[in-house]
Amino acid sequence: MTSQIVQSVLAEAEKRGAKKVTEVDLVVGKLTFLGLEQVQFAYEVLAKGTILEGSKLVIEEQEGVVKCDKCGYKGGFKYEDDPLYHVPLPTLKCPQCGSVVSIVAGKECTIKSIKMMI
Amino acid sequence: MSQLKKEVVKAEEGEVYDVELSEDLLKANQRLAEKNKQFLHENGVRAIDVMGSIGSGKTSLIEKLIQMLKGEYKIAVFKGDLTTTIDAELIAKHGVETVAINTGKECHLDANLVKKALQKLDLEKINLLFIENVGNLICPAEFPLGSDKRVVIVSVTEGPYMVVKHPFIFMEADVVAINKVDLAKPMNVDVEKLRKDVTIVNPKAKTVATNCRTGEGVQDIARALELRETVLFG
Repeated sequence: MTSQIVQSVLAEAEKRGAKKVTEVDLVVGKLTFLGLEQVQFAYEVLAKGTILEGSKLVIEEQEGVVKCDKCGYKGGFKYEDDPLYHVPLPTLKCPQCGSVVSIVAGKECTIKSIKMMI
Repeated sequence: MSQLKKEVVKAEEGEVYDVELSEDLLKANQRLAEKNKQFLHENGVRAIDVMGSIGSGKTSLIEKLIQMLKGEYKIAVFKGDLTTTIDAELIAKHGVETVAINTGKECHLDANLVKKALQKLDLEKINLLFIENVGNLICPAEFPLGSDKRVVIVSVTEGPYMVVKHPFIFMEADVVAINKVDLAKPMNVDVEKLRKDVTIVNPKAKTVATNCRTGEGVQDIARALELRETVLFG
């Protein structure tokens, strides 16, 4: 995933004839399983020798958001307590009306913006 | 009267530009998956994505489903693994067209690999495709392949906490097979508790207790996947 990020940024920077990239703003959904520290580390390694070297990778986490077509609820997941293990379990039940919701945010890995020197 | 300023504003050397992108890298896979689905439908093929931990029983389930449905469907299988064609060869022994997809290091299949594998099939000769994903309860959830249904297999030998620990993949499942139920007692795992955990996380998912060695429950899997008619009692 990190090499995809680096490739995408390089492609965009090259398209604009940038000399150097100073910052990349990334939005990572909480439902993806990207290890943020690993991404940071891999980013530094992959950026070496490219115009991304030395640039800052700023990662913003996006919470999971669900939407209910029945009652219009849009917001965080409902969590139910597992009675045996006392672990809060995220559910696809609407916190408002109990119908099944769909996930509308939290699964992305989006390059929001790139700061570059032309 | 305004005049066009003579000096054109130019970017200074070293000036930093903030370029907005909004490029979701995971969307690229989703788009490809949609294309795969469309392509499969245009050719009258139904596809089932089978996910689950290493050793949960993915290959066994597919083998049993093939044995059961060989007469009714023209079946092909994509078998995803990091390396080797061991499982692919096992499946091919059932007389179905099998394509081994070796991901190398990737711990999940993605829509691109499936697209490449589709090019190796003569879709006119098949109408049912099983895609066995790499053994993993985490990453496959983020990478749809373009299948009609997604099955997640969890076996009692993985212990009682698999659903609780990995809720998000169960949210992707249309059908959940709780496998190796013959070993529930020695493992001290409560199958009904696992079922309940799945239903809390995903009320839509159909759960089926299975023993893919003997074939117990596999008929119900076929019905849950809408590959066989559901038996209605009057």
